[in-house]
Amino acid sequence: MTQVTSNALSESDTSSRWPLSLLLCAALKWLVLAGVLSVISTIQLHTPSFLADCSWLTHGRTQALQETIFIYGWAANVGFAVALWLLGRLGGAPLRGLGLLTAGTVFWNLGVAFGLVCIAMGEATGVPFLQMPAYVHPLLLVAYAAIATPGILAWTGRRQRATFATQWYAVAALFLFPWLYSAAQVMLLGAPVRGIGQAVVAVWFGQNLLSLWLIPIALAAAYYLVPKLTGRTIANYDFAPHGFWALLFFGAWTGTRQLVGGPVPAWIPTMGIVATLIVLFHYVIVALNLRGVLCGDKRDIALRFVSFGLVAYLIGGIFDAIFAFQTFAEVVQFTYFPMAQLKLALVGAYSFLILGAVYYLAPRITGLAWPSSGLIRMHFRLMVLGTLVTVVSLGMAGWTQGHALLDAKLSFAAIAASTRPWLLAATAGEAILLLGSLVLTVHFFLLQAAAGCSTFGSTAPAMEASAS
Amino acid sequence: MKNGLLLFVGIFASLALSWGGLALGSNAQLGGLAPYYDQLENRAFPERAPGIASRGKLVYQDLGCAACHTQEVRRPGYGSDTERKWGDRQSYARDYIHQERVLLGLSRVGPDLTNVGARLKSADDVYKLLYHGTATMPSFTFLFEERPAHAQPSPKAVAMNGDREIVPTPRAEVLAAYLLSLSAPADYPAEKAVNAIAPAKKEGEHK
Amino acid sequence: MSDHPSPKPGSSSSLSDGELLHAHEQAVADKTDDRGSYKLLPLVLLFTFSGLIFFGGTYLNLFSGHFDPRIFDERALPHTVDTSVKMDPVVYGKKLYESLCINCHQPTGLGVPGTFPPLAGSEWINGSEERIVRILENGLKGPITVKGMNFGTVPMPAVGAGGANWSDDKIAAVLTYVRQAFGNTSGPVTEEKVVEIHAKIGAHAEWSPEELLKLP
Repeated sequence: MTQVTSNALSESDTSSRWPLSLLLCAALKWLVLAGVLSVISTIQLHTPSFLADCSWLTHGRTQALQETIFIYGWAANVGFAVALWLLGRLGGAPLRGLGLLTAGTVFWNLGVAFGLVCIAMGEATGVPFLQMPAYVHPLLLVAYAAIATPGILAWTGRRQRATFATQWYAVAALFLFPWLYSAAQVMLLGAPVRGIGQAVVAVWFGQNLLSLWLIPIALAAAYYLVPKLTGRTIANYDFAPHGFWALLFFGAWTGTRQLVGGPVPAWIPTMGIVATLIVLFHYVIVALNLRGVLCGDKRDIALRFVSFGLVAYLIGGIFDAIFAFQTFAEVVQFTYFPMAQLKLALVGAYSFLILGAVYYLAPRITGLAWPSSGLIRMHFRLMVLGTLVTVVSLGMAGWTQGHALLDAKLSFAAIAASTRPWLLAATAGEAILLLGSLVLTVHFFLLQAAAGCSTFGSTAPAMEASAS
Repeated sequence: MKNGLLLFVGIFASLALSWGGLALGSNAQLGGLAPYYDQLENRAFPERAPGIASRGKLVYQDLGCAACHTQEVRRPGYGSDTERKWGDRQSYARDYIHQERVLLGLSRVGPDLTNVGARLKSADDVYKLLYHGTATMPSFTFLFEERPAHAQPSPKAVAMNGDREIVPTPRAEVLAAYLLSLSAPADYPAEKAVNAIAPAKKEGEHK
Repeated sequence: MSDHPSPKPGSSSSLSDGELLHAHEQAVADKTDDRGSYKLLPLVLLFTFSGLIFFGGTYLNLFSGHFDPRIFDERALPHTVDTSVKMDPVVYGKKLYESLCINCHQPTGLGVPGTFPPLAGSEWINGSEERIVRILENGLKGPITVKGMNFGTVPMPAVGAGGANWSDDKIAAVLTYVRQAFGNTSGPVTEEKVVEIHAKIGAHAEWSPEELLKLP
């Protein structure tokens, strides 16, 4: 127990190889499926008759499905893998409780698959980000407890008392998810609060799922990767705690900005608008801390992913703050614009930051380098192109739609005609993103296959590769 | 930060504060909201939806109609909601007190449905919309079934296909009942008294 | 590092996890070393944060409707508007009349000759307020003369607590209505007056016309 050697540290990678690979495989499978459904759902926006005869693929259901798959399939699984790996690395010891992790992963993914079947069959709850029916959620919570256990053990059993920003963010994400998730479940599905209170709880949950669960995991990865990849410590690191607490304490109040002008007392959206503004302080500190990545070695692929993700995150934060105010919200509320903002946060910020971590950790847990640098470059370019095209065209579609909606004389057919070119572009963007996901998936399976051969062939490469 | 306990308490408190403030706070303010009893009409508003409409709401929910339709009217002067005749007044919290699940919706690919029951006159109108669709809405043909027409076609038939008629399924019927039940009552005096003065103030500022 | 994120420790500059933790712990600890020197960044951040809080606080104060649950328009402020519903007693009274009285006294207020006395032009309706309030509160039984015609075969049931259980404000409203409808032109009956009479008589059986005629 007392022996903290480089051997013990390096072991943490190879021992957790199979459970983490399982999480990543599951995540990638969902990512591709989410991509397919996003394409379908975006096509239905400009061509409503697409697949309309199929009752399990109405736009409402494809929308609910792709959102659920992206969050609970892709983002959750890959987030678990990255958060656990980071906590293990910084805990300085191999991850413990890996059997639980594997069991949890299996049940989480079975639960999500079951939930998706239920949505397709018409059991969706209608609550954004909580579309799976009530009876699926307890299973997911139990599976989550099993998945999070290695992370908590790595945190409590860490070898050094000193902690790093990565650990705060990762631990916060691991603790807050069950708290948030069970509160929302009880207040929305189990014993629903009366009337409009549900809308308040729903936006509180939806926003916090992003700001207090997914984003902290992505930031945990960024805070770890930036010093690792640039070889320098985080700039102005002494302010990092302020950034962390600003996100937690103010970020948790930002969701209700979406209810502006809605049937809730005025203080509720106003509170959200003010919090969205104050949380900019968090963005300032993140920018200050992680600016080193922008002048790092651009040939490193993980660094390129993190750089793009960071820029997307900061731009997203500024856009959220600007478009929270009533004057702008009046135009963009109920349009495609918030969808573009969500896309920017989920794909531009979260996926890019987390993919940087995946590119960094996959060779370390398998003990092999990625087979093809060409595929990596291709994936990065497809992702960048797909994200830019989707976000910009959805944003423009939303802006056009918002202004058209303000003119009471314009019919919905006219609005659809004016947004159609942008929605066609958004479909193309989604298709490019799907292609990128396919490239990554193929590449990851090639890596796993190579690693599988090498494991059964000889153990030498794994030993050699795990030093860092 | 070396103190793990402090970190944990902080993390816990951050969410607890927002939960207490927003989820519990709003519920404390609005959870006890009572219907408005109109002495003249001798009825309480909003009225409870009939049972068939509640079943229709489940169809509305499971098809995901809320992905493209909202159910909230914004106040006159904020957006074009009232100009588009979606309602005479903004929606208030009191309008939702009887709803088991509140589906405000996120997007307006189609019109707001708060008062759609007042715009569509009969179930026939709803069936025609659902069956034929519009430029922005697909046709929900799976909500209809084809069956041989008898000498006297069913009054519910939306279309004929040779000697066969196309009639709504029970799901379409309850969905239509739900949509027709959507109609917000006239203004509530309590909300009107406090909120009505504001638009005039705004116009004064602008001109 | 190249496009391959090599699993091997790349350049000499890369940090091990232990070093990473240590170096950053050091960075925080070092902060206290140069206390004397003037640092711009913390001040700028403090200003930024204070500015955001100040703006946010002002905004919240202006547009929160003072956290009043009735305020939905963020520009409105709670003010002491009497939000209790004051209905026009004539409109309300008409509604009430149509819900009950109309069955016997007819839409015209003319009643049915020989059975139900008329209200239009009736000396009882246009006379003492106290009498008609008592009739509505407790009912009326016995032979009665209205506009020179005899009635009394059917008793008038109580509308107040002993009968239809109307509250005093409803009785006031319906009396106010009939005293200005059907060609009548008498003044309104206030709710206060009904409450006062109600308190004075308490529970009582149906009145007889003789009892009522003794009243002023």
